[in-house]
Amino acid sequence: MVINMRERLTTINESTEIKYQEGKKVAVSKNKKISNSFRVYKNDCVGISYQLGEVKDEDGFARAEKALERQRPYPFGLESGVRHRDKTESSISDSELVEIAEECMGYLNRTYPDYSFHGTVMWESQLSTRTNDMGMDYSNKDAAINVGFDFKHKDSKDISDGEFHFSLRKYDNKVFFKMADDYLANFRKMVDFPDEIIIDEQYYGIVGTLGNHLSGENISRKTSLLADKVGEKVFADGFTLTHDVTDKECWFNPFWDGEGVTFKDDKLVLIQNGKILTGYADKRDAARFGINHTGPAYADYTDIPGAGGLNMRIDRSDKTVKELLDGRYAVIPVMSYGGGFNEKGEYTMPVHASLLFDGEKVLGKLPPFTIISNMFDIYGKDFIGVSADQPIYNDKQLLYMVMRGEMK
Amino acid sequence: MKLKLNFPKDLYSDVRVEENYSIWFSNENGEVDRDGDCEKKGAMIRVFDGELWYTASTNDLNGIQEELDSLAKLAKPNPDIYENPEIKLLEVNKDSVFKFTGENDVRNYTRNDFKELVDYYIDNCIDCSIPEMNFWNVAANAVHFEYSFYSSKGAEIEYDSQETRIGAVEAFTVDGATTYGYKIIMKPCFEELKGHEEAVNKKMQESLNYAKNAVDVEPGDYCCVLAPFVTAMFTHESFGHKSESDFMLNDKTLQDEWVMGKKVGTELVSICDDGSLNNHGYKPYDDQGTKARETWLIKDGVLTGRLHDAQSASILNEELTGNCRAQDYTCTPVVRMTNTYMKGGTTPIANIFDGIKDGIFVADSGSGTGQAMFTIRPNICYRIRDGKVCEPVRVNVINGNVFKTLFDIEAIADDFVLCNELVCGKSGQSVPVSAGGPTIRVKSLTVN
Repeated sequence: MVINMRERLTTINESTEIKYQEGKKVAVSKNKKISNSFRVYKNDCVGISYQLGEVKDEDGFARAEKALERQRPYPFGLESGVRHRDKTESSISDSELVEIAEECMGYLNRTYPDYSFHGTVMWESQLSTRTNDMGMDYSNKDAAINVGFDFKHKDSKDISDGEFHFSLRKYDNKVFFKMADDYLANFRKMVDFPDEIIIDEQYYGIVGTLGNHLSGENISRKTSLLADKVGEKVFADGFTLTHDVTDKECWFNPFWDGEGVTFKDDKLVLIQNGKILTGYADKRDAARFGINHTGPAYADYTDIPGAGGLNMRIDRSDKTVKELLDGRYAVIPVMSYGGGFNEKGEYTMPVHASLLFDGEKVLGKLPPFTIISNMFDIYGKDFIGVSADQPIYNDKQLLYMVMRGEMK
Repeated sequence: MKLKLNFPKDLYSDVRVEENYSIWFSNENGEVDRDGDCEKKGAMIRVFDGELWYTASTNDLNGIQEELDSLAKLAKPNPDIYENPEIKLLEVNKDSVFKFTGENDVRNYTRNDFKELVDYYIDNCIDCSIPEMNFWNVAANAVHFEYSFYSSKGAEIEYDSQETRIGAVEAFTVDGATTYGYKIIMKPCFEELKGHEEAVNKKMQESLNYAKNAVDVEPGDYCCVLAPFVTAMFTHESFGHKSESDFMLNDKTLQDEWVMGKKVGTELVSICDDGSLNNHGYKPYDDQGTKARETWLIKDGVLTGRLHDAQSASILNEELTGNCRAQDYTCTPVVRMTNTYMKGGTTPIANIFDGIKDGIFVADSGSGTGQAMFTIRPNICYRIRDGKVCEPVRVNVINGNVFKTLFDIEAIADDFVLCNELVCGKSGQSVPVSAGGPTIRVKSLTVN
C-alpha cells in the first residue's frame, strides 16, 4: 500500500520551424509547451492533475490531492532511482536553422525546377523529468532537426506525388542532398516490375500490429493471433523483436516507462530468433490477468498509465541492403496508404507510388500496385532482414517479399 | 477572457485564444478503465509583414502581449500591409456566439453523470452470455471549447463549441480471429447521448454475425453499394480534400484540371461544405475570423466552388469560405473541411439494390484515403446477388479512381445521414469534421 506519496512528471517541448509553400519560405514559428502531471498516491488510490505551463509544486499537488475524490484505484508501488540521460549531440540557433532551411530549399528549387515543394525544417528539443517521494530523480534530454518535404511534378494532376523526411541530432547536409536525389532524380522514369516483389521500407508502421498481438491483455483474453503461441517459434530465425529505448532513431523517448519502470540495458526482448518469449504487461494488466509484469506502460499525463508505449525494434542483420538483395531488386514505397492488417493477420496495402532500387541506386518509378501478404509471412518465410546500412531512409530498412495485386 | 491588446504598427497581427475542458469515463469488462478530467488554455499569436508570417504559441495567457511584441521585432514594418491582397480580404467581424450554456454546457455535468450514462449502456447493450465475446468497453467523454479571436484589423470574436460522445466496443473471437464491433455516437450536447441503445445493439449483432459467418471475397471489380457512412467517407476523402485549394495556389496543371464549370461527375452528384451546421465540424468563425457559410463544391455534377483561406482566395481571386482551421492553439491554420456532405437523392432506399446481379454492399468502413486513387477499408461488407443482400464477406480494401467514380455513380438513395464520428488529418493536424451522404450505387470499384 502506498501512503501519501507524491510524484511529478514534466515535459518541456520547444521548437522553431521554418515553413515552405510552393518552394518559398512563408512562415517562421516558435513554440514552447510545458506539460505537467501531478500525482498524489493515498490508500491504494491516485489523484491526478494535468496542468500546462509553469506550475509550482504546492499548486499542482493541491489539485492532485483534490482529484483523490475520484477514488481512482492504483494499488501499486512507486519506482525509485536516480539517472540523467542527455541524448543531444548539437544545438542549432534560429539563424543557423534558417541557413540550413534555405540551403535545402535552394537545392531543391535549383536541382529539380520541374517540381513544387511544400515542407518544413524544424529544430525541436525536449526535456522530460520524473521525480517522486521515493527518491526518483530521472531526466531525459533530446534534440533533433526534422526535415520533411512533399513534392509534386508540375505536370502531375495529383495533390502530391510523394514526400521524404528524416531526423538527425547533428545536421549533415549530405544526408539531405542524397535523400532528395534518391527520391527525385529518376522519379519520372517509369520502369517495369521485377519478377519478385521485395519491399524495402521503414517498418514502424507495419510492426505495430505485432504490438497489439503481443499485449498481455490480448493474449490473456484470447483476442490475439499469438494467444496460444507464447514460447513457440512462430517467425523466421533471423527475426528478433525488442522494446528498445537505446535505439539511435528513438526520438524524444525517455528511458523510463509510464510507471517509471526501467529495463535492464534499456531493452526488453519480446521475440528472439522467431520464438515468442513473452507478451508485455503494465502493473495493472499483470495484476488483472495474473501474468508477469514486464512493462512497458505508456505515460498518460491526465490519467493512470496503461500497457503500451513500445519502441519496437527488429535486430539488424550484418548485411547491407545490396547483400540482402543478392542480385535482386527492392521496391521502395513512396506513397502507400489506405490498407492494413485484418482480423486474420492478412495484409493488404495499396502502393500509389514506389521506386525500384538495386541496393545502391534508384532506377525509376513503378506503376501503382497492391501489397498482399500476412503477418506470419512478413516476419516468417518472407522475412529477409533489416539491413546494416540505411541508404534510402537514413533509418532502418526492413526487406520482405510479398505478392503483387492489381490497383486500377 | 476578454483581451486588451496593443497591436504593433505597420504589421498585420492576430491572436487566437483557446480554453477547453475535457471529461472522460469508461468501463472495460466490468472495471473502471479511464476516469478523469482536465483543463487546457493556450494562445496562438501571429504577425505578418507581407512576406512572412511569424507565429508563436504559449500556455501563458498573461504573456500574450509580450509574445506579440517579440514577434513584431522579427518582422519588417510595412506601412502598406493593409493593401496586401490577403490581408485586404480578411473579414472584420465582431460577434459573440455562445450556444452551449446552461443545461447544454457539459461542464455542468459531473463525473457521476458520465458514469451513470456508461452504466446505462452497459446494462442495456452488453450481453455477457455471448460465448464469442471476450472483451467489451463502454466509454463516454466530452469536451467544451471556448475560443476568442482578435485582429489588428479590428476583429473581436468569441464563441464556444462542444462535443460529447458515447461509444461501445465488443470483441468477438471465432476460430482464433477477433472481430471488433464499434458503435460511436457523437452529439453536441450530453442529453443527446441517451437513447441510442437500439443502434448499438444492432451494430453489435451485425458484427457478431460477420465474425461468425464472413467468407473471403474473390478479388475483382464489382458493382458496389456504399452505405451512408461509407459514402460520407468517400465524399470527404475522394473529393473533399481536392476542394481544399491550398494545394493548387500557383499550380497551372491543377488550376486547369479543376476549373470552375467543369463537369466532374454524373448530374446526380452535388457536394457541399458548411461550417455553420451544428455538427462535429461546427466552426462559426474560422481561425482567420471568417464567418462560416454554405459552399457548394459540386452542383449537379459540375464544379462550382472550393474551400479557401485568405491566401488561396486572394491568389485564385475567389471568395472566402471560412475554412481556415487549426487543430489547436499550438498550430497555424490551413485550409480544411468542416461539415461536408453529398446531397441525398431520389431513389427509394428499398430499390437501391435492384438489378445488381453480383455486387458488394459496403455496410461500414473504418478509414479511407484519397488522392487520384482513393481507398476505403471496410469493416463490414455483404455480397449482393440478384438484387438481394446475402452473406457477409471479408474485404480488406476497396479502391477506385476518383475522377472515374464520380461519373460511375448510378443511383443515389433518399436516406441521407450526416455522420459526426470523423476526425480529419492533414499537414500533421487533426480536426473534428462531419461528413454525410446517402446510400449510393457505383458501377464498378476494385475489391481486394
